[in-house]
Formats: sequence, C-alpha cells, structure tokens
Amino acid sequence: MPSSNSNLAIIAAAGSRKTQYIVEQAVGDPTRRVLVTTYTNENLGQIRRRIAAAAGTGLVPGNITVMGWFSFLMNQCARPYQRTLLDQPNLIRSLNFKGERNKFIPRTKARQYFLDSEFNMYRDGVAHFACEVERLTGGLVTRRLGEMFESVYIDEVQDLVGWDLNFLDHLFDASLSVTIVGDPRQHTFSTNNSGKNKKYQGAGFLDWLTERKSKCDLEPRNESYRCNQAICDFADGLYPDLPATTSCSLDVTGHDGIFEVRRGDVQEYVERYKPMVLRNNKAVDTLGLAAINFGAAKGSTYDRVLIFPTKPMLKYLKTRNPVDAGSKDRLYVALTRARFSVAFVVP
Amino acid sequence: MIKRIIIQNYRMYEKFDLELTSGVNIIVGDNDCGKSTLLEAVSLALTGRLHGRLLAQELSPYLFNERATRAYIEALQAGMAPQPPEIIIDLFLDDAKVPAALRGTNNLLAEDRPGVRIRVAPNPDFSLEYADFIKEPAKVNLIPTEYYTVDWLGFSGNGITFRSIPATASLIDATSIRLQSGADYYLQGIINESLEVRERVELSRAYRSLREQFSANPSVELINANLGGNQGDITDREFTLSIDLSQKSTWESSLVPHLDNLPFAYIGKGEQNCLKILLALKKKVTDAHILLIEEPENHLSYSRMNRLVRKIIEQCGDKQVLVATHSSYVLNKLGLDNLVLVSAVRGIRIADLPASTVDYFQKLSGYDTLRVILSKATLLVEGPSDELVVQRAYADRHDCLPIEHGIDVINVRGLAAKRFLDIARLLELRVAVVTDNDGKEPDKARERFKEYTTSAGITVHVGEDPAYPSLEQQIGAANDLNTLNSILKKSYSSKDELVEYMANPDNKTTCALAIFESKTPITMPKYINEAIDAVQ
Repeated sequence: MPSSNSNLAIIAAAGSRKTQYIVEQAVGDPTRRVLVTTYTNENLGQIRRRIAAAAGTGLVPGNITVMGWFSFLMNQCARPYQRTLLDQPNLIRSLNFKGERNKFIPRTKARQYFLDSEFNMYRDGVAHFACEVERLTGGLVTRRLGEMFESVYIDEVQDLVGWDLNFLDHLFDASLSVTIVGDPRQHTFSTNNSGKNKKYQGAGFLDWLTERKSKCDLEPRNESYRCNQAICDFADGLYPDLPATTSCSLDVTGHDGIFEVRRGDVQEYVERYKPMVLRNNKAVDTLGLAAINFGAAKGSTYDRVLIFPTKPMLKYLKTRNPVDAGSKDRLYVALTRARFSVAFVVP
Repeated sequence: MIKRIIIQNYRMYEKFDLELTSGVNIIVGDNDCGKSTLLEAVSLALTGRLHGRLLAQELSPYLFNERATRAYIEALQAGMAPQPPEIIIDLFLDDAKVPAALRGTNNLLAEDRPGVRIRVAPNPDFSLEYADFIKEPAKVNLIPTEYYTVDWLGFSGNGITFRSIPATASLIDATSIRLQSGADYYLQGIINESLEVRERVELSRAYRSLREQFSANPSVELINANLGGNQGDITDREFTLSIDLSQKSTWESSLVPHLDNLPFAYIGKGEQNCLKILLALKKKVTDAHILLIEEPENHLSYSRMNRLVRKIIEQCGDKQVLVATHSSYVLNKLGLDNLVLVSAVRGIRIADLPASTVDYFQKLSGYDTLRVILSKATLLVEGPSDELVVQRAYADRHDCLPIEHGIDVINVRGLAAKRFLDIARLLELRVAVVTDNDGKEPDKARERFKEYTTSAGITVHVGEDPAYPSLEQQIGAANDLNTLNSILKKSYSSKDELVEYMANPDNKTTCALAIFESKTPITMPKYINEAIDAVQ
C-alpha cells in the first residue's frame, strides 16, 4: 500500500512473524543506521540473537543498534539534554524501577519530581522527562535521534503506555521512519504505571493508532504462521471485536487443538507429549514440573503447551465469556505459544 | 578533529580554554606553563587513560588544581560546606564528522555539540562517608579522592565505548622513553595502532605458528622425550617443555623492532624518537587520528630534526597534530601561523600573521622567534655592538643583566626587525626597538615603524640629533674625552678622532666589548635609557 507516510504500524496476531519482519527489515540494508527497541529483556535478547543469525556472521552488524526501551529513553533522550530541566549536566544516574515519587511534589520542582534522592529517575517519569526536554529544547532530542538513525523499529509496541505514547508522537514527527509492531491482545506488560493515556492501553491502542492515521499507516495482519486453526479460533474467542485470525499452518500431528487434562493424568500426559509447561507465576503448584511464566513466554514458540490455569481461566473454559477470563492478554499469550496443541490442567 | 578544549581544575589549569585548528598546532610557552599538561589532557580525554593506565587507577589529589584545592580546604576549615572540586576536560569535536551519539549539552559551554569529557567528581554513593570525613576539617590537607569517581562520557551524558569514540590519539613523548622487558611498550602500541586489523591478525597467527613449530623441532622433541623418560621422578604426569601458547604471551611481548639488525633499544635515542613519530604519522585508518608530539627536537641533531620536521609536514595530511616544542627551528619550519602560545588560562594563536612573515621565517628558520615570543619583554637592536652597549646600559640602571629580569636583547637588522614586530603586535608583546637615525631627522626612523607603534607594547627609540648618525657618535656626544679614553684604554687627543676610531666597522665590536666590560662610569645616550625604561 503506497503512502507518503514514513511511519508504519503493523498490528498483527500472534505467530504472524512480527518480530521476523523487523529482523528482516533491519538486516536487509547494511547501509541504513537502524535502531531496534522493545520493552522486555527476553524479547530484546531474542531480537539480538535473531538479527545476529540473520546477518550470517553471528554478530549484530555495526549499523544496527538493539537497545531496550528504557535504555533508549534514558540514554538517548533524557540524558543528552538533561540540563534543560535539571539545570545541571551529568546529574541523572540510573533508573529507579521500583520506587515512586511523592505524589505531593509539584511538576515545577523538576529535580524532585523526576529523580529520587540519589538522582535515579523514577520509571514512571522517564518518557515524560523525554517529552519535556523535547518540548523545551525545541526538538533537539528528535533532531539528534534523526542524525543517529534513519529507521526506528519498536517491537511489542502494545507494552508502551502513558507518556510513552506522547514520545511516540514526537518520533512520528521526526525526520526518521518509525515502524511499530505489536498486538493489543498481548498487552501483558506495561512500561510504567502512569495514569496518562489510560484509555489507550490494551485494545484501546487501536483507537490511538486510528487517531494518527494521517501520520502513521496501519497494516493489520491476521495470519498466524504458528498456531493451527483450532488454537487460533479458541484464542480469537477472547477478543470477539477484533478480526479473526487465519492459520497458515497445515501440519497435522494426531494431537492437535485444545485439550483438558486432569491433574492425576498430568505426569502421563507430559511424558507422552512433552509440552512446555506454562503458569501464571511461580506461586502456582505445577506438580514439580519445570515451568515458565505466561509473561516470560511471550515471543516464544513451542510445539505443545500445558497450561496451569488461574481460577478465572478455568471459569472461562466453562462459560467462554471473555468477561470471565480475568487477564485475557495473559491467556491469549499462553494459548498462542503452541503450534499444535494446548492442554489445560483441570481438577 | 578537536575544535576546542576546555579544562577545569586539572593540574595547573584552573580554567583553560583553547580553540584548535585542523592540521598542525604548535604549542609554545614558558616552562611550567602547561604545554605537556595540555597534550596529556587531550590524550586523557580521548583514551580515558593517563600514562597508559585507566585514570581511576592513577587518580591522586595532586591531579587537582592547587588553587582549587586550596580554596576548597580553606572554605572547609572556615566552617563552610564547600562543593568539592571536580576535574573536567571537555573536547569539542567537529560536528560534521562525529556520530550524533556524542551530541548533547552535558559540557561546560552548555551548547548542543558533539564531544567527549573526562569528569572526576565526588561519588554520590559515598556521600555519607564524605559527610563523616569533613567533620574534622583541620585534618583535611588534600582532596579526598577516595570518595571520587571517574567518568568518561560523551556530551550525551552516556559512557564512552571504544566503538563510539571517533578519534584516536597517540601521545609521543621523547623525554621518557620507557622500556619494558626489552621492548618499548609505547612503541609496541604505536606499531599495533598503525597496523590494519587484518595485518594484526596475520601477525598474531604467524607468531603462534612459529611457537607451535618450536615443539615440533627434532631437538626439542628429543629433549622432551628425555624429560618424559624420567616420569615419576618429578611427577606422575607427562612432563614436557613448550612455549606458552596462551593469550597473554602475544607477539608484542616477544617481537622487537630492529633497524639494520640492531634491536630498537640499542639504537640512538634520537632515532628511536623519530621512528615513533613517523610510525604514528603513517597510521592508515578511517577514523580521525590525533597526533600529540612532545618536544620532537629532543635527542636530535640539527640535520635529523630537519628531516623529521619535513616528514611531519609531508605526512600529517588531514591528521590533527599538536606539537609542544622549545625549538624555534621546529616552530619556524612548521609555520608560525600555527603557533599557539599557552598560558595558565588560555592559548593565544597568531591569527592574521602576514603570509610573507610566515614564509620568511620558514626560509630563515634559524631565527630565534621563540626568544621574542617567550620573553617578558624584548629590546631589538641593530648589530652586535649595539647589543653589548644596551646590555651595559641596562646593567648600569638595574644592577643586573636584562636576561635576569626575563628581558631579552636581540640583534636583528632591517627587514627581520619588522618580521619580529609582526609577531609581537599580534601577541601584544612588549618590544622596544633601538635604531640609528642614520643622519636623518629622527621622525624618519620612527616613520619606518609607524604601522607597529600603534600597538601599546611597541616603542621605537632613536637618537634625536641627526649630527650623530649612529650609536658610537651618540656615545661620543654624551661623554667627555677622558672618560672614553679611559674606557677604551686609548689616548686620543680629540673627540673627533676617537669617535672616528669607534665608528670604524673594524673596531665597533672591540669598543662595544670594552664598554660592556669597563668599570668606569659612562653616560648613556638618552634614547638608550628610554628604551630600557620602556621594557620595564
């Protein structure tokens, strides 16, 4: 679809090779200076490995920078022009990921508003800080980024919330091309807890994009190259308002689709099908089986998964009403990891 | 390329600011004015290292400017809570050629520019310990560097990696040729830098295979077989001799450059020095390379120096070169217009020096231009006899020779005097010109220098009476016959005869020497004394 916009949003179902698209684009032109960023370390590591593999050398090529979203905001947006807000150079030290600022500090006291007593920046304020600096310097932040990179790729963009979206707006306006890739259904993480732009979280992200039609093209992709049709249908059931997903996977293994396994049969099932065991968090009793959390599985592909569901998920299995499913996005992520089969452990 | 350097609290520089040009910059200044410190600071900011070691390991209170240290300690002891001083070295780089990643406003100018900085500042992690430490200010004599941290940063505020630094630097210091296990590690570094990556890898591989061949040598095999035969005597395991193949014994520690089959350490110091400079100049890299040369004239004969300087001019190409020198010859040859005269606070460069003057000193490079530049004040005189008389006049007035006051008397004629004045005018130096009236109205002589005397520091002194055209006649007029006969150990009966004798070119210097050495009081012509007063 030809367009004058240099910005593109690809909103796509799980398994539609979103990350693969970024990897191919980044490696495709060795003369282009490219930034690839995403929020989670798991995904960042995976992108790094896949770019290194795709480059054929085992190393990330020099023209490609792979950097976490917070490193990007802190080091390339906040730090270079920090004196504009803080009246002092080299003041910001690191990121305060856990702490929160005192709610009674006014915005006018920039130092206490954005930094803790040891000059580490509160996580909730990083994107806000970057936006403020961009505004006060008349666009120096994005000008500098424009000199550093020709293209910016953001994977798992649905993780971006609050002031991140305002900064994304600045990036759209800058002299570099921005490609954002994500799936609102997989909003399992948020970069921060800011109250800003609450309505655009999760599925609301599509509304945000629609409002920016004039500067960012929207390209939906509804094919899954990972999951078979039965898994796609089951997962789509969580989001009846969004377009249905078509499976491009035609492999048949003899044990395909959605299954339920009684707790007593779990050991036998695991021995027979060797699924990846997924759980909500480490407090879940997985009967001694090695497991990973739903969130950490994001971006990965397994042939088969075995899910230890939460109570709301169990309820959803019975009612098939999305309202009952609890955190739909986690369930969606867990389901869509599997190529052939998904089994739920039931009492 | 470095466009500007600003230093704060580093060694002798409390606040120092200097703009540099591309190509050659010749750093000139008195002893202890910080020439070497300047080169050291540039190298430090570009490599993060001091004397080859990371600055954090070399950090000492003595790196801090003494005045800043004193101000801090006095404030502490006066019961205040002063901010501990920070060392900052900011290098502002060329916008066009530097990755934007180094851009930002974290610099002393607060401008959005690309650059690198070394910052030595109190570490906030130790704020509690520091608070304890200053509870007893009487015990504080030095900056407490143990509570400090060293950051090597871009102006973006981010740490520097070797990939992000756009320029490399070689510091060549001929005064300290350091030897380490037979091989000069400075030299090894320079060789390493001047090899291309591929060549470096090839060299390492060739060296490794050489070592591997050693153990395959029949005699070594035999020896090892014998050693192995004694198994059990020493150890139960197989015992052999072999060359260390691990990473730590690389070619740098064993290969030594040879010149005409002489190991590098056994060739002359001068040659060693030359070779280092030339190797560094040869470096073929795509990155900007900045060459810092400390006193290239050291250990070199005149003719070697000539060849070296010519090579520097030919090969520096688009490299930025900073040369610190004490040699007028090096300065004249490399071009006076590249001169940077440094003091403790700034560097002055001679912008707008007439091209003809640069050319003049390049051709007549024996002229001691540095003497004028570095003197507190200068008396320019015409001829060796005038020089001796002026020295005597100065001694009469101040009881010591002018050089003891840092004032130089330089003998130059005609055109050369004006060339020196070109330099003096631009550097705002104090110069008194002593000249003959040559039998004309004194204003004629003054007229010759009128383009210079508009500068505050430059004065022209000439005998008033055209009847006495040169210094000898002027001295004759100022003293009686007996005095002069006694000084010159002569017995002329008339002053005319005596002055004629003095002014004869064959006798001029003899007479001047007699005047210089004589204990007899003599009256100096008024304009000579005025010249001496002018440089006070």
